[in-house]
Amino acid sequence: MPVRDGSEQDLIMLLKAQDDQAFHEAVSTYTPGMLAVARFYLDPSTAEEVVQDCWVTVVDAIGKFEGRSGLKTWLHRIVANRCKNKLRSGKREVATDFSESLEPELAERFNATGRWDVPPRLQFHESADTLMENGALSDCLDKHLSALPETQRSALILYEAHQHKSEDVCNILDVSASNLRVLLHRARQKIFLMVETFQETGEC
Amino acid sequence: MLMCRDLAVIASDYIDGELTGRQNLSVKMHLMMCKACRTFIGNLRASTELMQAHSSGHPNEDLLRRIDQQVAEALRTRKSRSGDQE
Repeated sequence: MPVRDGSEQDLIMLLKAQDDQAFHEAVSTYTPGMLAVARFYLDPSTAEEVVQDCWVTVVDAIGKFEGRSGLKTWLHRIVANRCKNKLRSGKREVATDFSESLEPELAERFNATGRWDVPPRLQFHESADTLMENGALSDCLDKHLSALPETQRSALILYEAHQHKSEDVCNILDVSASNLRVLLHRARQKIFLMVETFQETGEC
Repeated sequence: MLMCRDLAVIASDYIDGELTGRQNLSVKMHLMMCKACRTFIGNLRASTELMQAHSSGHPNEDLLRRIDQQVAEALRTRKSRSGDQE
C-alpha cells in the first residue's frame, strides 16, 4: 500500500477536479480497505456491490470532502454507513463472541496451574519481510485470513494491513475499544498458530 | 503472580503498549524468568509484523475493472450535466 502523506492532498485536489486518472489511482489504492470494511458487515458478493456503489457516490461527494479526517478514513466511513443502512433494512445482525480472549487451540496448551504444558516450540527467527518472500507461506496466510471470521479479519486488516488507529477502527466497525482488542488478539493468535505449524511441518 | 496463561491473554495489549504501567512491569518481570513466554511474545510479535507486511484483501482485477468503468461513466455523466448548466 503506497504511503501518501504529502501527496494525498494532491490526489484529493485532482479527485475534486474530476480527474479520470486520479480516480483510477484512488480505486486501486483504496478499494482493498473499503472491501475489508464491507466484508465485516456483509457477505462477499453484497460487499462488492456496496463498494462499487460507494465509488459512484464518491464521484459526487468528493466535492464536499473537507479533509477533517484522512481520505482513507472518510471512504471507510462511507462504506460502513452504507453497510449499516443495508443491514437495518435487511434486519441482519452482526454476531460476535467477545467473551473468550484465548483461542481454544492455544488455551489447551496451558495446565491447570496456568503454566505452559505445550510451550511454543520454535522461535520465528526470520523477519517478516524474509518470511513473506516464502511464496508458500504467503499463500497459506491468504488461506487462513480468508478462513477467519469476518469480524476478526476486518479488524485485523484495517488495524494491521491498513494501519488505522484503533479509535478509527472502532468507529468504522462500530465495536467498543475492548471488543476490538479481543478481535485483534484472537486473530493474531490464529496467525501465530498457523506460522508455527507451517515452520514445523512446512505444510499449511 | 502473573502466570503464563495470564500473560497469553494480555499479550497483544503488551505488544501494542496498551497495558497500565503496573501490568507492564509484571509482564516484564515474568518475561525475565520465563523462556517459553519470551518465545511466545516474540513469535506473536513476528506474526503481527507478518500481517502488516502482507498486503491483504487484494480484490480481484475484475472488480477493480468494473469499478473503474462505473466511475468513468459517473464522471462523464457529471461532466455533461455541468456542461449543460453552463
